[in-house]
Amino acid sequence: MIEIIKEATLGSVGTITTIMKYVIPIMVVLQLFRDYKILDKIVKPFEFFSRIFNISKSSVTPLLVGIIFGLSFGAGVIIQTAKEGNLSKRDLFLMVAFLAACHAIIEDTLILVAVGANGFILLGSRLVAAFIMTYLLSKYVSIEDIEELEQAAAKEV
Amino acid sequence: MFINSIKTGVLKGLETTWMLAKVIIPVYFVVTFLQYTPVIDWIAYLFTPLMTVFNLPGEAAIVLVIGNLLSLYAAIGAMKAIALTNLEITIIAVMLSFSHALLVETAVTKRLGVSVIKVVLIRVGLALVAGLIVGRVGAIL
Repeated sequence: MIEIIKEATLGSVGTITTIMKYVIPIMVVLQLFRDYKILDKIVKPFEFFSRIFNISKSSVTPLLVGIIFGLSFGAGVIIQTAKEGNLSKRDLFLMVAFLAACHAIIEDTLILVAVGANGFILLGSRLVAAFIMTYLLSKYVSIEDIEELEQAAAKEV
Repeated sequence: MFINSIKTGVLKGLETTWMLAKVIIPVYFVVTFLQYTPVIDWIAYLFTPLMTVFNLPGEAAIVLVIGNLLSLYAAIGAMKAIALTNLEITIIAVMLSFSHALLVETAVTKRLGVSVIKVVLIRVGLALVAGLIVGRVGAIL
């Protein structure tokens, strides 16, 4: 029993340390890009995300961070962006839906390619599925969904 | 401005790390305990007959269950323990790439206020559909 607790403690400390090693540089670089007004230029080619899904432009940066680095990092940037008050409940839901299907495309793909999977099939199916699903959801996300989210958020507080 | 940007960035980074730590550490404990219980074997046993649908051998169930409950890395370890063809590896990999580490990752999305059931349904649903398609197409080729 003590062994298991030890393993869980060491493991979780290790995981959090790894997250910190990524999250701090990501946040510093994003802040520098933002303050020196280059973030908009970098994000501009990816604004098609906000047009396709009809979500706010401030959703694009957290979405990109999540797609490249992973769900946890994406969630971190989403929360920071939400604090600045630029995200609607609908934006949040559609971003999470996209990222649920498609995140950490570099790490996840490489791990699985390392054991012999076909990387093109992996990456292709994930991107295509995430786009189609989020597009359909963006057309059909109803008022009830948004209300449900608000209730969930209210419970959190 | 440079120093200020770095300060703000580091602060936001620490804040985010703390937020994620609060979510991830409890789930990490649950996941570690789970590894020492027979629960994973039971679930895998239940899903074994379903594997033929995806054109996979029955042993693949344990890999999928480990990947979904624990992590991708744990699934890789389990994958190495059984003999699989390249096609089978790709089928499992496609399924796992949509749906993996559900306990930890769903906890993170819950922190964003999105319903757990919806996120899990989306992920498992996509994994099942993708597994079916790749499995069937692979069987024809």
